[in-house]
Amino acid sequence: MSVAGELPVMSSTAAATAQLIALAAGALLVTSVLVVWRRELSAQVRLLTVQGVSLAVLAVTIGLSGPRSARAELLVVAVLVLVLRAWLLPWVVGRRLRAGIEAGDAAREDGARLNPTASLVLVALLTTVAYLVSRPISAGVATRAGGGISGPAAFAVPVGVCMVLIGFLLLVDRRRAMSQLIGFLVLDNGIATVAFLTAAGVPFAVELGVSSDVLLVVLILAVLSRRMQAQLGSTTLDSMTELKD
Amino acid sequence: MNAVAWGLLAQAALAACAVVLAVATRGRVRTVLAGLSCALVAGAGVVTGALALGGRTVVVRVATALPLPPAVIAPDRLGGLLMLLVGAVGVLASLYAIGYVHGASASRTQWAALALFLLGMQLVPAAGDVVSFLLAWELMAAASTVLVLAEHARRRTAREAAVWYAVMTHLSFVLILAGFAALAATAGATSFAALAGTDPTRPGATVAFVLLVVGFAAKAGVAPLHVWLPRAHPEAPSHASALMSAAMVSLGGYGILLVGIRLLPGGPTWWAVLLIVLGAGSAVYGILHAGVATDLKRLLAYSTSENLGLVVAAIGLAMLLRTHHVPGAASVALVAALLLLISHAAFKATLFLGAGAVLRATGERDLDRMGGLVHTMPWTAATFGVGSLGAAALPVTGGFVAEWTLLQALIHGVRPADRVVAVVVPLTLGLIALTAGLALVTFVKAFGIAFLARARSAGAAGAQEAPASMRVAMALGALAVLALGVLPGPVAAAAAAALGLTGADGARVAGLGGVELTGVGAVLSPAALVALGAVVGLPALVGVLVVGRRRPATTDVLGWGCGGVRTSPRMQYNATSYAEPVTRIFDDALQPRRDVVVTHVGESAYLAERVRFAQHVDDVVEARLYRPLVAAADAVADRARRVQNGSINRYLAFSFTALVAVLLVVVA
Repeated sequence: MSVAGELPVMSSTAAATAQLIALAAGALLVTSVLVVWRRELSAQVRLLTVQGVSLAVLAVTIGLSGPRSARAELLVVAVLVLVLRAWLLPWVVGRRLRAGIEAGDAAREDGARLNPTASLVLVALLTTVAYLVSRPISAGVATRAGGGISGPAAFAVPVGVCMVLIGFLLLVDRRRAMSQLIGFLVLDNGIATVAFLTAAGVPFAVELGVSSDVLLVVLILAVLSRRMQAQLGSTTLDSMTELKD
Repeated sequence: MNAVAWGLLAQAALAACAVVLAVATRGRVRTVLAGLSCALVAGAGVVTGALALGGRTVVVRVATALPLPPAVIAPDRLGGLLMLLVGAVGVLASLYAIGYVHGASASRTQWAALALFLLGMQLVPAAGDVVSFLLAWELMAAASTVLVLAEHARRRTAREAAVWYAVMTHLSFVLILAGFAALAATAGATSFAALAGTDPTRPGATVAFVLLVVGFAAKAGVAPLHVWLPRAHPEAPSHASALMSAAMVSLGGYGILLVGIRLLPGGPTWWAVLLIVLGAGSAVYGILHAGVATDLKRLLAYSTSENLGLVVAAIGLAMLLRTHHVPGAASVALVAALLLLISHAAFKATLFLGAGAVLRATGERDLDRMGGLVHTMPWTAATFGVGSLGAAALPVTGGFVAEWTLLQALIHGVRPADRVVAVVVPLTLGLIALTAGLALVTFVKAFGIAFLARARSAGAAGAQEAPASMRVAMALGALAVLALGVLPGPVAAAAAAALGLTGADGARVAGLGGVELTGVGAVLSPAALVALGAVVGLPALVGVLVVGRRRPATTDVLGWGCGGVRTSPRMQYNATSYAEPVTRIFDDALQPRRDVVVTHVGESAYLAERVRFAQHVDDVVEARLYRPLVAAADAVADRARRVQNGSINRYLAFSFTALVAVLLVVVA
């Protein structure tokens, strides 16, 4: 993930910005892959926290490198991201998880359809697909006028797309309700990443709307999984096959 | 704006008014107000139709919200005749409904649907282009489906019937849509005036003809596309059955007339032969099933299949004779087709209204449980009797005149030199004669078993005469049947004018309202015959009465009861036993199922405690053609259901695969 070699002429601030974006993007990708690899649910939640922090770093970097007028707003957005994605959402999921384990639910994702090796191979393929399909978006971002960070941002866009695909893969592959929730959050983090990178920062109103949406979804799913456990004694989706006719 | 345009506007406004009244009012008030406004909608249709039939033309363009050219409403003379016919049936049915509806059939949905149904049926013959025709057709189909569903909450069979009807009617719609699309693509236009110039030898025209004929035949209830008729008619409220069977199916006939005569005249011979085979086959099949049916409304439904079969055969005959240069007989066949439609509308409306009155009074549709109603329901009995005479095509009714006209065309159309005509026409004549004979058996059964002899069930014994509005509607229908039979001249002349037949090849008034078929030189003057009959018959009648008075008074004794006096109404001749010879003769065609269960007394092989006999006549077409199709569709659907197994993961996997595939396709 060396960016410096491709961007030879830049000031020291610009170089630092590019390095930070690359670092954050790398962290996002690595955490996503690790979520696929790890089966321990609490470990996955910790990875989500790391992912949230990385996303906040990305938001701060983009905010600082943007035009002076929008800087304050973008920093507020970064704080919102930090609070929501690095603390609140993992905390809600973790709390629900601990309560579930105390009530006798499994602490590991034991019903995945793919074994870890196969899923990692699939993730590699999906990463390739993501880099392949986000070329037009990257090109659009790179030629965008005015942004000091358009080069590194363009380079990082595929990471966001990749996270969306990995999140989706988690939804398809996993059977525990908590894993579904984690997959959904990875997917949503991916969407946020793409949004930050392509739009050079997201307006506060938009981010607030998206955040409250995600928060609501997570809360509802947490309640639902609690109900599932109460009604069915477990939180696997296998027992839910009424969604037909 | 001329009078026809005002009439069309009035219909739309009155229909809107009827819908509002149906929704806004309640109880008895709703029934009276909505019923009267429905009658006004239909009445406006009668006036508009009469004006259009008289030659007033108008072209109304209605812009639609669809990305299509504006819908053109332009009734011609033929359309006017159909509007008049449909409107007249509508007036009768609406008046009748005021006294008839109760419970679910008096709901606001039902009244609103009735108003829209009446409007839709008026707009179909008024349509001047494909777009407005299809819109009106769909309005008619959807509204009538709602009417069939009236009793859906109470009877499962009503829901089944509605599903059959909805499927068949939309199959018809799709075929007509495809047919018109093919025709419009061939001709490069959508208005009927422009489509009329299409060259019938082009392949697009052949495709269009077949699709349109099959589509309209499904609506007309022509076998083998009739399966919805014997299901929907018994389940729909009787005024709706009357409207559907007397008015709506006529529009199916109108559609075939439109295609065969107006849009694509001069097609190849096989088109005509196709229509004749379809029509004559339907006529025989329909009347055969009517002959053995015991459910009164089912019997009437099959009879509709027969009559519309005759109409289609008459149209086919006209096309055949035109192509083979027998213009006189051809035009008579066309007049016969219209007369058949008109007389069928009159007697079938009367019969369905009568059947409804019987159903309302006795709660029975099964002929085997009726009987003796002539004593308790004299009005209904008299009007049903007149309707039966019409359906059996006996003199002094419209049915007789229509069938006489058709037979004239057949007899005068025979050309031994032309091989096709020499084979087809006599065969058709034979089939239609068979149909006429079976129709007589059928309607003797329908009237005799239902109204004569003694009541066969408690419901029939406790029957009460229908209320005034129903009696008025039935009496008007019966009068129409008689008027068409006694004074056929003006009607035949109007039919000829509607078809654009003038001068040597038409029909005109002769004598006392009689008809002269100028194409073949035949004259029928029923009024004169009635007068002659009165002159000859009255003295004879008086003589018989006088002689009868002189005979000693008779004493009533119980009928012979095998030595006992245990006569019960169930020992009478009933519908099943009356039709037994027909069932026996046509055993192979009908394939009835018979169950005889004998319970013996003790161990004796000779003494029976009770014998139970049950006979079911299934519709062979339904059992052999439709059931396998439905089963195949079910099997395919079952396979498809495996894809949908209820697992959320699987559904997500579908979306995921689709997402990745779309992304890859977009990039590649």
